[in-house]
This record gives sequence, structure tokens and C-alpha cells, in this order.
Amino acid sequence: MSARNPGMNLDLEWVSKVRVNTQAVLKRAQQIQGQKLPKKQWQAAWLLKAVTCIDLTTLAGDDTPSNVHRLCLKAIQPVRHDLLKEMDMHDKGVTTGAVCVYPSRVADAVKTLKAANSSLPVASVATGFPAGQTPLETRLQEVRLAVADGATEIDIVINRTLAITGQWEAMYDEIRQFREACGDAHMKTILAIGELGTFTNVYKASLVSMMAGSDFIKTSTGKESVNATYPVAIVMVRAIRDYFLCTGHKVGFKPAGGIRTAQESLVWLTLIKEELGNDWLSPLLFRLGASSLLADIERQIYHHVTGRYAAYHELPMA
Amino acid sequence: MAGSTKNSVHEIFHSMESGPEGASSTNTAQAWLDHRSRSLGLFIDGKLVVPADRPSRSLTDCEGAQLCSVMVAGDEDVSVCSSSSVIGFKSWSELSCSQRAKVMLRMVGVLGQHAVCVSEVCDVCEAACPPASLIRLLQFYSSWAQLRDALMPSWTPRGVVLVVGSDDCSLQQLMIKVLPALAMGNSVIVVPGLSSAPPALLLAELFSAAGLPAGALNVLTGSDTLFGAKVAANQNISYVTFSGNKQEGVLLCEATAGLGVSVSVSSILGARCPFIVFESADIDSAVDAIVQNVFTKRREVHWVLCVQESVQERLVSRLRLRMSGMKSLSLRSEEERRLVEAAVQEAEQQGATLVQSCSPPSSGAQYPPTVILGSAPSSPCVVAPPPGPLLPLLTFRSNSEAVALANHSPHGLAASIWTEELTLALETAKSVCVGSVCVNSVSLSDPSLPVSPHKESGSCTDGGQEGLYQFLRPSSSSSPPLPRSSPLSMDYSQFGSAAPPTTIIPADSASTPKSLPQFVGGKSCKSVSGCSLKVQAADGAVLAFCPDGGRKDVRNAVEAAVKVQPGWMKKSASARAQSLFSLAKGLEAKRRDLSASINTQTGLSLDKADEEVELSIARLNDWAAYCDKLQGGTPSLPLSGSALSLPEALGVVGVVLPDENPLLSMVTLLGAAISFGNAVILIPSEKNPLPALTFIQVLQASDLPAGLVNIITGYKDQLTVSLANHSVIKAIWYWGSAEGCQFVQHSCSAPLKTLLLSIQQKGGERGRDWTHPSILEEMGRNAVQWKSIWIPTA
Repeated sequence: MSARNPGMNLDLEWVSKVRVNTQAVLKRAQQIQGQKLPKKQWQAAWLLKAVTCIDLTTLAGDDTPSNVHRLCLKAIQPVRHDLLKEMDMHDKGVTTGAVCVYPSRVADAVKTLKAANSSLPVASVATGFPAGQTPLETRLQEVRLAVADGATEIDIVINRTLAITGQWEAMYDEIRQFREACGDAHMKTILAIGELGTFTNVYKASLVSMMAGSDFIKTSTGKESVNATYPVAIVMVRAIRDYFLCTGHKVGFKPAGGIRTAQESLVWLTLIKEELGNDWLSPLLFRLGASSLLADIERQIYHHVTGRYAAYHELPMA
Repeated sequence: MAGSTKNSVHEIFHSMESGPEGASSTNTAQAWLDHRSRSLGLFIDGKLVVPADRPSRSLTDCEGAQLCSVMVAGDEDVSVCSSSSVIGFKSWSELSCSQRAKVMLRMVGVLGQHAVCVSEVCDVCEAACPPASLIRLLQFYSSWAQLRDALMPSWTPRGVVLVVGSDDCSLQQLMIKVLPALAMGNSVIVVPGLSSAPPALLLAELFSAAGLPAGALNVLTGSDTLFGAKVAANQNISYVTFSGNKQEGVLLCEATAGLGVSVSVSSILGARCPFIVFESADIDSAVDAIVQNVFTKRREVHWVLCVQESVQERLVSRLRLRMSGMKSLSLRSEEERRLVEAAVQEAEQQGATLVQSCSPPSSGAQYPPTVILGSAPSSPCVVAPPPGPLLPLLTFRSNSEAVALANHSPHGLAASIWTEELTLALETAKSVCVGSVCVNSVSLSDPSLPVSPHKESGSCTDGGQEGLYQFLRPSSSSSPPLPRSSPLSMDYSQFGSAAPPTTIIPADSASTPKSLPQFVGGKSCKSVSGCSLKVQAADGAVLAFCPDGGRKDVRNAVEAAVKVQPGWMKKSASARAQSLFSLAKGLEAKRRDLSASINTQTGLSLDKADEEVELSIARLNDWAAYCDKLQGGTPSLPLSGSALSLPEALGVVGVVLPDENPLLSMVTLLGAAISFGNAVILIPSEKNPLPALTFIQVLQASDLPAGLVNIITGYKDQLTVSLANHSVIKAIWYWGSAEGCQFVQHSCSAPLKTLLLSIQQKGGERGRDWTHPSILEEMGRNAVQWKSIWIPTA
């Protein structure tokens, strides 16, 4: 496993130099979406890669131990065993990247996975998810409690108030503290791009988050009106590339919200492959935050293996 | 493919390869070619004909497999075709505007039905043309067909237009010329190159099915571009336009010199275009545009990457990352790979370093995308770029150096500018000498914007309303077209050199007529040679002596002109107008002298001479008023963002003046040139120079910048050669002998100059009517070129 991003001192000059041409980014996004996607076994392999990058998520008010339990077991066996066997992938440890739950459900998830002898990471959202509008002290405490319950990945939300008003130093300090509170748990920083206004601001927020030591930057909570869109992703991964070229540290990327079809997941992989290269095509550096995506991918894999289109009831539910 | 494990799901899961590129289907194209038995004929008079016993050329696809054979038409085919075009012109031009527009709209429908076939045929022949852009062209020009008489009432079609393409010319480039020609009511003969022949034949079939009258569009295929010249020699052709690479354009110009037909050239292929990245750019997007537009399968132009020194490293590191994993691109032949390899090796020997996506294969017609770092404008890969996915990278220090770097090129087709600063973008866009500038984007085009490629990249304006005039002529008989002729056999190197012995002024005699100076760089002076010529009246009496100007005088004049011209162009239109008004006033003050000079020179009665002076004063006032009337605009586009269409001056214009109306013709042409920002070098009529020499006093008293207008007298042919051989002169407007026209056509093809030619009528025949007001619009259009600036926004 590559070394974690240790972060660096806030470099405001670097932040101030950021330029993003909206029109060119939109055009690039269109171009990526228009590209030919892999076919046949290439498609199957890519879809399985996408599965391993999924943060299988449930973030609802009515989450209980029982549905979290189901989710965790689906995460361990995301694709029907017989289908994997057909492709000779049954013994290659295909699981989702992690499960992602609210802090109060972390303990349930950890318990289920432990019982199933799985080392699958449990990710928890924290810091006043999704709005982040709670006092810093309670947000920090939330992180600590989630880690204590056994979460090994923490998805924090940035303080949009600070980002929108350009108070980068204050934002940097907050994220630094979150990172400290995370300890060994990996920190994914949610930028809530739907609320940042411009692409330039998204780029700047990405840079500041990485400088403050984020292991991942994540597009959105899934609760805003605008979620993971390709243009915004292009801006964020270019910031990741920028940070890598300047510091040598690889920061991961996690789009989340609104990703539902197998086709979309292939576009996402293409985008990462082209902009960042193959190194990033791994759950260590790329995650897809999604809940219903897995079902569609499994159906596509079913189609690849059998040549038939599956009804939803033919595949185990999450 | 080493066994099945290589492409097992597990392997791919780790390598994350994208897999083979699904070869796009070519079934429809193949079926069409099969239907034609893979041997294509000619399209004449509304049908495909396959005359027997003609030689043919074979067209291969990108893998070298035989695709089909293309016929080489014989002389009899050319004459059958041209008579068909004459009839086609009659039936097509007799239709009303709205009928023609309707046919063109039907073409859109037919094209829509056969879009798959058209795009596949284009693909297999590598003559790229997306059907969507064809449809856009058709829709745009059908609207102009509809409104021709309403918006351009005093213009009529030229007749039979010949469109010639070089072998590598794409179907789209041909259609950019064919469709406006048709829309204006001309009939068209297309001589496509080898690769665009099959799609051109297919389109001709489809258009004919849409209701285009027989003969309105004929397609002839031949051996090479010189076949185009052979077709042009046919007396029925009234205009020739060429699209393709520069070498063949030059050949065509030379081969058509003296035919008495005007030829325009768009040397789009192979032009060198600057891609300028400022430090204020969105570097990532610029890198992305480079990867997507420079390293493509089909490369029509050679990009040169100009990067501000301060961001070179940032850009290169991103390029390196982004290019890694890109596959080699196909070349046309193995021979090309060797050329590319040699060029890369040469660059490396000069200390250049490479950014390459993968190591080059040792055989096959392929080469990986390659950026050549450490190139300089003098590097061979910049001066004579080989074919292939090479991108030389130059660095610049300041904004003005970027412009200098971009302009230091014989080509002037397009440029791409990357910066987030609007002011810088616009300043740079206005100062680069190219026809089309894309800000934060690359290679955008739309028929609504007129574009005139600069320098060697072309001599005509395509697109927009401005681009239509090349296919029209004024309907008033005031300007007769060039009379068709056969080329004279002449020795171009000898033209203008056999000057008659020069008269030396007798030194003392008191009765000697005075000797008049010429006007160079704002000063009246003698010729550099110091020799003089007699100025003779119609009856042979010596009226005065004028300088015998030559090569050196032209050189001095050009030097003075090129210094002041940019400043003059930058002046506001109203400032130029003021100068012209005061020039008219100056002429008014000297009206007596001028009419006396006309009277003595031509023997015209004083009354008539007065009339010509009056007209000349009025003409200058007209030009003054015109200065701010030719405006660009911001046409509406099919994409978000805006584009500017700007008229620009040509630069320095050389004018060889006619004998008729010596004063009126001179102020007309002088006014046309300078009112839109050009500098001008006037060669007065050898026969009637006196009025021009007298006019020098008016120029001296005017507030025009010194050097903007130069008047050089002497032997016409000799001075014509001097103008033609000076590369700074961008355009020549010539009135003179058929021989002179032929010389100018022949020698102004490389470097390319924009030409306006008229053969001086001998004897009593009426040539151009200089008093007709329509001459203003006609000449005005010849004095500008059009630039388009694209500024796409979100």
C-alpha cells in the first residue's frame, strides 16, 4: 500500500494561481462521455473493477442493524458466486471497496463483518453530515467516536461557509484537526461541489483539502441538488494530478451521488484512466459512492456470462 | 495475442486495458462500392457514366487493401462535361432563388436518409466529413440561395465554377466551395482528389436525386492536379478555385496562368499553425486540447506549441502524464515513418528531448505521439515539418514575443490561444496574422463566419456572406470579366527585363521640359537609377520627364509602406475618414493643375478633364465615407459563446494602373486600398503618367502618414516584375497586357499574392467604366481580408 498523503503547509500562492476554463472542461466531459466503452470480456473486467471500487452505502434515517447487516453481506459477495466462477474470478477476492454508513451504525457493520471473517473496511460519514453546520467541537467528537467504534475510513464534509467565502486558512485548519482526529483511519474529504459555485472554487477547495492531508477527495454527500457530475470530476482529478506532480503524493478520488448504471461506472473508469492513469484504477485511490449501482452492474455481468438479461429478482438483493 | 490467458477477465482486471477498438462498420460503404463494381466512373449530366477504355487509379484503404479504382477522364470526357455544365448552368440559374433554396433543402433530407453511407464512404476513403457538418453547410447556404436576390441584388452568378481538390483534400473542404457556388446559381464541375473522389461521386448522385438539374453538378476525376488545369483550359469555365496542399496549389496556379480565368487557392493542408499557451491559461484544458486535436488519426495541419517559459514545466509534466499509454498513430506509408524518424533523429542531434507515449515501432506505418522539447523556430521539424504526430515545443518570454513567434511563419491559416485573460486573448487574437483564431479551443469552424487564410495559406475568403462574392460578378456591365485566352508561350524570366534604352535628360537646353519627381516614402525624389523617361502627349510631343523607377525604388517604397501600414490600420476608421476627406479637399484645391495635366496628357477637352477631376474628388469623399461602413460583426453560432468577424487590411498593395481615366482610376484604387487600412504602391500608366505625377503635390500637402501612398513611374513591365518579386506585397491589382496578366498569375503563386487582374483593352474598346458607382463595393471587397475569432463560453 502506498504511503498516505501527509499533507503540507497551506500554500495560498498556489491556490491563488488556479485557472479553470469552464467551457473547455464541459467540452472535455462531453468528449469523455462520447468515447467508445470497452466491450465483451474487457467490459466484464472493467465492471468487476468498478465493483471493487464501490463504497456500498446506506445513509438513511431508517437504517437499522438488519439492513446494515444485509448490506455488509452483499458487500462481501457483491456478485453471484456462479457468475464469478464462469469468469474464473470467484477466488480473486472480489468484494466492494467498503461499506459506508452513519456513525451510529458503524458498530453494527463492524460486528457483522467480524462475524463473517471479513476485513472489509467500514467507512463512516461524520462531521455533521451532510450539512456540516454543527460546532467544530461536536464534529471532531463525531470523528473520534466513529473511529473508536471501528470505522477505518471517515468521510468528512468541509465547512462550505469557509470555502464559499474564501477563508482557506480556516478551512485548512479544520481539516487538519479532522485528520488528527482520524488517526490511522483514512480520511475522505467531501467538497459538496454542488454548493461551491464555480469550478475554480472546486479546484481550490480540492487543493486545500489535499494540503491538509486528505487521503481522498469526494465530490458530494449525495444530499445536495448537484452531485457527481463529469465536469466537476475532471476539475477535481486535475487538482489531484497537480498535487501529485508537485508533491509526489497520490490522493484518491471518490465521486458519489447519482451514479446508478453500469454504463456510468465505465465512463467513470475511463475518465480516471485518461486523466490520472492506470495507477488510480484501484480501490486504494478510487471509490464510487453508490447504493443502487451494484445491482445494475451485477445484471450486466449476468448478461455477459449468460447472454440473457436478468430480472432483478434473479440476483440477490442488498 | 499470446493464448487465451492474455485476454482473460482476470488479466484485464489487472491491466485495465481498454481492449481492441471496435472497428466501425463499413458495410454500407462496401455495399455501395460493390454496387459500382468497385470501379467508379464520372458523374456527368445527372448520371454516373463509365466510358470504356479509360485508364484508372487505384484507391487503397488505410491498411493498404484495394478499395476501388477511380477513372482518369480523357479529353472528350472533359468537353462533354463542360457542355453539360453550360446547359446545367442555364437550367439551374433560370430557377428562382426560392426554387434553388428548395432543392438545397431537399438535399438535406436526402443526405439525412443516406447519412450512414456518406459517413462510411468518407471514412473508408479517409476523406473525413461528418454528415452533420455537411448538413450545416447545406442549411446555411440554402438560406443564402433563398435570399441572394434580396440581399445581393446587383450581383449575378459567374457561370461554370471549377472546384479542384488535391489528392489529400477532404470532402468537407470541397463542399465548403461547391455548396456556396451552387447556392449562388452557378453550375459546378468538381475535380476531387483521389481520396475524396468516391464520396464526391456519391454526393453528386444524392444531390441529383434531390432534384438538382442535370449538369448543375458534374464530377470529373483525373490523374492529378494538373488534370484540374486541363479542365480549367476549357473556355466554358469562368472561375477556378482550389483546395488542398500548397505544392499542388502552386502547380495549378502556374498551369492556369494566362488562361484568362481567375484562380483562387486555399492551401489548408499542411499549414503550420501556432498553439499558444500563456501562463494565465487553464493548463490542464490546454494539454487536453493538444492531446485530442494534435494527436489525431487525421492531421490536416502542423501545430507548433508555443508555451510561456514560466509554465513550460507545468505543461510538459502534465503532457507526459496525459500522453502515457497513448498508442501509435497510423501514417500513410512506411516511407512516411522513415521521414518522421529522420526528423526526430535530427532534432535529437540538435539537443532536443522527446516526450513520447511509447517507443516507436521499428517497422510498419505507425508512429507514437511525440512532443519535441527544445525546438527553436530554426529547427528543421518546425521549418519543414514531416508528416506524423510530431509536436515541436517552443518557449516565449512575453506576450509580444508570443505574437512574434506565431507570425514568423509563411502560413496564416489558424491559431489557438489559451489564456483566461480576456484582454490578452483579444489583443493576441487581433495581432496574429491568421484567418481563424480560437480562444481556449481548437479548430472550430462554421460557414457563417468568413475566413481568409493569410499569407501562403490562401487567397480567397470562404464562409459568410463575404465568401459568396467569389462566386458572383457585378451584374452591371461596368466590369467585364477577363477575356478567355490561351496561354502565350513566354519566358517568365525574361519578362520585363528587355527595357528599351533609357533616355538621359539633355543637360542644359532651356527649352527642355521640366523633370518631375516620383513619390517614395513621403518624399518626392528621383529614381535610384537616376535615369528618366519621356512623358509624351497623345501626339508624341514631350511634355516632361519622369523618373525611370525600378527594383530598388519598389524596395524603398515597400520598406516605407510596411513601417506605417500597421499604425494606419490601427487608427480608428473615423480618423482614416478624416484623412481621406482632407485629401479630397487637397485635390479640390489643386483642381486646375490636375485638369490641366489630364488635358495635356490625354488631349481630352478641358471641360471633360474638369469633369474627371470632379468625379475624382467625389470618389475620394465616397471612400472617406466608406471607411467605417465595412464592419465585422458577431454572427450567431450553433454553439454557446461568441465569435467575432473582423475585416482586416491586406498590408501593402501594389497597383499597376490602367491607361484610361488616369486620375479617376488612380484615386479609386488608392482610396479602396487606404480607406480599409492598406498601404499602397502605385505604378501610374506608362502612357499617361502626368496626372499621377501632378497628384503627388496633393499627397505632399495631405496628412497621410509618409510612406502610406507611393507613386513610382517607369516601364510598366519592369515595375510589375519588381512588385511580383517582392514578398512583402500581399496583393497586386493589375491593369495591362495579356502577357503581363499571365506573368503575374504565374509568378504570384509562391509566395501567394491576392490578384485582381484586368486586361487593358486595346484600341477603342470600352474597358471598365470607372464612373460607375458599383466599383466602390467591388473594389472595397478586394481590399480586406476576414478574420474570425472564436470565444466559446459555457
